[in-house]
Amino acid sequence: MGRRKKIVQECERLMDTPENIRNIAIAAHVDHGKTTLSDNLLAGAGMISEGTAGEQLAMDTKEDEQERGITIDAANVSMTHEYEDTNHLINLIDTPGHVDFGGDVTRAMRAVDGALVVVDAVEGAMPQTETVLRQALREGVKPTLFINKVDRLISELQEGEEEMQERLLGVISDVNELIRGMIEEMDDIDDDWTVSVEEGTVGFGSALYKWGVSMPSMQRTGISFQDIIDLERNDKRDELHERSPLSDVVLDMVCEHFPNPVDAQPRRVPRIWRGDAESELAEDMRLVNEDGEVVFMVTDISMDPHAGEIATGRVFSGTLEKGQDLYVSGTAGQNRIQSVGLFMGSEREEVDRVPAGNIASVTGLRDAIAGSTVSSVEMTPFESIEHISEPVITKSVEAQTMDDLPKLIETLQQVAKEDPTIQIEINEDTGEHLISGQGELHLEVITQRIEKDQGIPVNTGEPIVVYREQPQEESREVEGVSPNRHNKFYISIHPMDQEIVEAIQRGEVSMDMPELERREALQEAGMDKDTSQNVETIHGTNILIDDTKGIQHLNETMELVVEGLSEALDDGPLAAEPVQGTLLRLHDARLHEDTIHRGPAQVIPAVREAVHHALIDGEIRLLEPIQNVRIDVPSEHMGAASGEIQGRRGRVDDMYQEGGLMVVEGVAPVGEMIGFSSDIRSATEGRASWNTENAGFRVMADNLQREKIMEIRERKGMKLELPESIDYL
Amino acid sequence: MLTFIGLGLYDERSITVEGREALAGADRAFAEFYTSRLVGTTVEALESFHDIGIDVRDRAGVERDPAPILDAAEDEDVAFLTAGDTMISTTHVDLRLRAHERGIETRVIHGVSAQSAAAGLTGLQNYRFGKATTLPFPGAHGGGDVPDSVIETIEANRERDLHTLVYLDIKVDDPTADAAGLGEDERYMTGDYAAGLLAEHWADELGVVVARAGSPEPVVAADRLSELADREFGGPLHLLVVPAAPHHLEAEALEELAGAPTALLDEN
Ligand SMILES: Nc1nc2c(ncn2[C@@H]2O[C@H](COP(=O)(O)OP(=O)(O)O)[C@@H](O)[C@H]2O)c(=O)[nH]1
Ligand SMILES: [Mg+2]
Repeated sequence: MGRRKKIVQECERLMDTPENIRNIAIAAHVDHGKTTLSDNLLAGAGMISEGTAGEQLAMDTKEDEQERGITIDAANVSMTHEYEDTNHLINLIDTPGHVDFGGDVTRAMRAVDGALVVVDAVEGAMPQTETVLRQALREGVKPTLFINKVDRLISELQEGEEEMQERLLGVISDVNELIRGMIEEMDDIDDDWTVSVEEGTVGFGSALYKWGVSMPSMQRTGISFQDIIDLERNDKRDELHERSPLSDVVLDMVCEHFPNPVDAQPRRVPRIWRGDAESELAEDMRLVNEDGEVVFMVTDISMDPHAGEIATGRVFSGTLEKGQDLYVSGTAGQNRIQSVGLFMGSEREEVDRVPAGNIASVTGLRDAIAGSTVSSVEMTPFESIEHISEPVITKSVEAQTMDDLPKLIETLQQVAKEDPTIQIEINEDTGEHLISGQGELHLEVITQRIEKDQGIPVNTGEPIVVYREQPQEESREVEGVSPNRHNKFYISIHPMDQEIVEAIQRGEVSMDMPELERREALQEAGMDKDTSQNVETIHGTNILIDDTKGIQHLNETMELVVEGLSEALDDGPLAAEPVQGTLLRLHDARLHEDTIHRGPAQVIPAVREAVHHALIDGEIRLLEPIQNVRIDVPSEHMGAASGEIQGRRGRVDDMYQEGGLMVVEGVAPVGEMIGFSSDIRSATEGRASWNTENAGFRVMADNLQREKIMEIRERKGMKLELPESIDYL
Repeated sequence: MLTFIGLGLYDERSITVEGREALAGADRAFAEFYTSRLVGTTVEALESFHDIGIDVRDRAGVERDPAPILDAAEDEDVAFLTAGDTMISTTHVDLRLRAHERGIETRVIHGVSAQSAAAGLTGLQNYRFGKATTLPFPGAHGGGDVPDSVIETIEANRERDLHTLVYLDIKVDDPTADAAGLGEDERYMTGDYAAGLLAEHWADELGVVVARAGSPEPVVAADRLSELADREFGGPLHLLVVPAAPHHLEAEALEELAGAPTALLDEN
């Protein structure tokens, strides 16, 4: 029997003992060494050969990932590890570090109970370290820390024992500060989730040279800091690896400090599921009951050339088996499971069954998307997985040849299923489809996939920035009249409190939840009681409040009112960009007696007009997406680097020294950042490393508003004049 | 001058003599056929019969952009034509008011309205009709199959012992119907279809379908709503009446003129 086969059998055996299972993710800032570390763990577990770990990058399975050397999708792998005489099943998810792929990280966190956060010892905690930590904690996932690239402290920076310890402690205290700040906001986590050397929740070492230590491992092996420094300096890394292999140290830490599903699910389920806590289903999930109803949360959809569409996710209750007919949240009817499997590196191994507490990958769920709840009984779905940032950039894609038209549409729909942070807009008439995503790189990777994986040659347009529109002050009550003049609507708007907007963005407030809960969540975010009781609909980050009382026939007409409102908000009055963060109040309405004279052709335009006029009265303005930018650069190039930010209508907020390099931090508009990659390279002779992170939308300066609005209107083929009432721009 | 002229119920000859003369004297004629139509004729036939070009406006061309009509009426004699009577179910009072705002003189020349035809053909007394209502196609209006307001109207009338005239929806000028590629005839709600919708609430109650009022061969049929739902009444336009308990002469008329089953009338 092959080694691989043996491991699969062992995994199957272990699946049934949830106490011995650990579901974990490795998360880090880009290039800090996640993938190298994952490969080490796989090699340690016998999944890939020792010699090739590090070069093989088993976790980076797609061609474009291996070429770019960055991890794009979260990939999944199962392995076994013996700790304290007990064999453990470890289900590992590697997550992407580039912030453009943030949606994948959040989804991966839903499936796991522990997150191994990797931080580069030289660079220290970076912006995305903070982001991934926040994503983990929000999902109730416990962190531990691995400080990587310690070899560089010794060999490159020539640090001594004391210096090195000081630096490591510095990294630990930075990370703990982040954790403490985030935990404070969460009342369901009482335990101290900061990491500490003494407790053994911190490890350090070198993923590249495959050695690692932790306090417990140093006590066990007797290896000292000085030994490490000596061995590393004298190029005896192999000996170091043999005496203190990285995978053992890390996997021990995983088994000892990460919760198993039985410990984790009672705490995590209330955090991610709003269903009835008293129900049998809730009990099944808390107890990780493999004989209970099936509850499977899909965190990833991928395409396999042989097996077809594969849905991967966490089994919270019951046992997945071939032939089961399961409900998929948000769709009617059931899907039948065609096969059940586990991921072993890039390959999937079919097994007979996967019980609660594990990460499974199944085929046959054709209606599922990343984020679906799949179950044997109809149930309240899991909380929607939060997407921290909305799409900020759009590109058109067009097939080069007619023959590819249908295939391209299919592929785009597939792409959106796999990655919900991507939005697509299919236009069958023109064949020019739109894809929107998190950044230039994000879209570039997607289009390359279409060309390479699917072999569809495409033409793409210039990247287009997505703007927003938002009123700046409270409006008066404005009237909207239907074309036949028999119906009138009276609406006012005001900018919504940021806290409520964020609650909507985080999914804490939505129309999908029971009304009472929604009211409470809104009040918690600062909305007054009366208002929270009259919420009629939530559209994007906008809320409609129905303040009317006892108007005859309004019930019947409300659906059309909402339709008119949605149209008005999707295409704002300035440049037909989406309106955000607006609270709308319907004060009064006059309706025609007969339905036919208050139909869609009357009500929709009346409401649209009222909303637009109210927004204009509230001095609506154009907002542009902005990014936080961080550049690490040798001091002689610092001027050039900060110039690249300032020259892009950006602002430099901070410059400081860190690890022998200068760090420049600032903010710049996404629109101006297009092409930044090559500009910064030439400005700094390629010596700069840089990072961006979407930071929401910002009102554009007044003197730029009109010009930008006209530019967008022209691009969209709209009239090049604004309504006269817009006299403030 | 803007003259509103009702064309009556069925074809180019349903207009009154006064209307015909006014139209003959007009410099220009506009018309709308999205609220109702003359099913017995065409625009071309109307034009040649009255020897005048007719500019047919869609809903947007009347409600949103009435300027061309009003501009013309400012210095010429303009006729505005609709099926039926221009101010009954079509409510063109808005256009008339706009004309007044601009100081344009207006007048109304009545046509026969479906409302009077309904009373006339069924034998139900005009004095006993309560509030009228329109039954829209399901989904065209938000809410369920039959809007609450329609149910409430019929119920309130019945409580007060009054008949209800139910106009039936027309999906002309409707982008969803265009997109669905609905044929000419599928855009007019039929009496059997309407009876089917209402039968969900009043299966055993009496209903009267009036088809092609004003044509040489109108059809009038009275029966239980659930029975009417299974019958066919031919081409458009149709109307439905939900009568209150008929007065003795009304009952006789329904039996004789609309074939109402005697047993059913006794029940009511
Ligand atoms: N010197 C050194 N380099 C490392 C170490 N771990 C990873 N690297 C290098 O850092 C780069 C990024 O590593 P990778 O695993 O792809 O990072 P990821 O983006 O977090 O997945 C690669 O060139 C690795 O060879 C380490 O412990 N020491
Ligand atoms: Mg990687």
